[in-house]
Amino acid sequence: MTNYIIALILGIAFGFSLNKAGLTSYHNIANQFRFTDMTILKFMLTAIVVSMIGLYAFRGLGWVTFPTVPATYIVGNLIGGLIFGVGMAGAGY
Amino acid sequence: MNRLKAFISQETWSPYVAGILLGIVGLMTVLLANSLLGASGAFESIAGLIGKKIVPSLFSNTYWGVEGGRVMPVIRPEITWSVILLVGIFFGGTLGALSSRTFKFRFNDDAQWKRIIGPQPWKRWVIGFVGAIIVEYGSGIAGGCTSGLAISGGMLFVPAAFLFMAGFMVSGIITAMIVYRKRY
Repeated sequence: MTNYIIALILGIAFGFSLNKAGLTSYHNIANQFRFTDMTILKFMLTAIVVSMIGLYAFRGLGWVTFPTVPATYIVGNLIGGLIFGVGMAGAGY
Repeated sequence: MNRLKAFISQETWSPYVAGILLGIVGLMTVLLANSLLGASGAFESIAGLIGKKIVPSLFSNTYWGVEGGRVMPVIRPEITWSVILLVGIFFGGTLGALSSRTFKFRFNDDAQWKRIIGPQPWKRWVIGFVGAIIVEYGSGIAGGCTSGLAISGGMLFVPAAFLFMAGFMVSGIITAMIVYRKRY
């Protein structure tokens, strides 16, 4: 139960940050692929860098153990990404 | 206090500030729940849950699991942690819009979309629906979406995340070129 409350709170914070970054608008996502607006890359890569630093620091302090990482299978990841991009740029989600 | 209030009620933040918030959320997810952020898996769980009720034979496979099978399914057809997270994302987005007083029920009102594709609402619905299927299908193959694979994988230095990002940037640019043609 506690786990579900944590999920709900984290989800709310996640959705809030997506909304504030403007990822809920079509033009922001479409313009990223036209390189007229770099919002998405700035947002995503900042998030990655911040949590990357935090995670490796916390692991060094022994506070966290990493969860099961997403599997790497080169062809699948690449083809999945290629299909994903068509929908993302086309529909703007 | 008033400055904080004014900051929260802005419609958009600097992407760096919003990115830092998301980074902290991603970090907290690992710290508090030993889990990763993700959205696409939740949709698949819900689809499996509904599918198993309606056409059990079609959904009884290695992807959603076989009744009494020994192999762990790829996607568990139940109310998982991610499903609750997805509910939270919905309310978080709503809260974000409410905080900046931009919340309203919209119907194809993105100015850029209207200019490029056309003002007819059905086009938005059809392309949105088909696009969402493509997105979900692609993330099913890759093993995650932008949040579950690119961001969560990226922060753990998983090669899959960077392959996936390269993939969606390449095809996204090509798609945008086709859609926008001379206006690209």
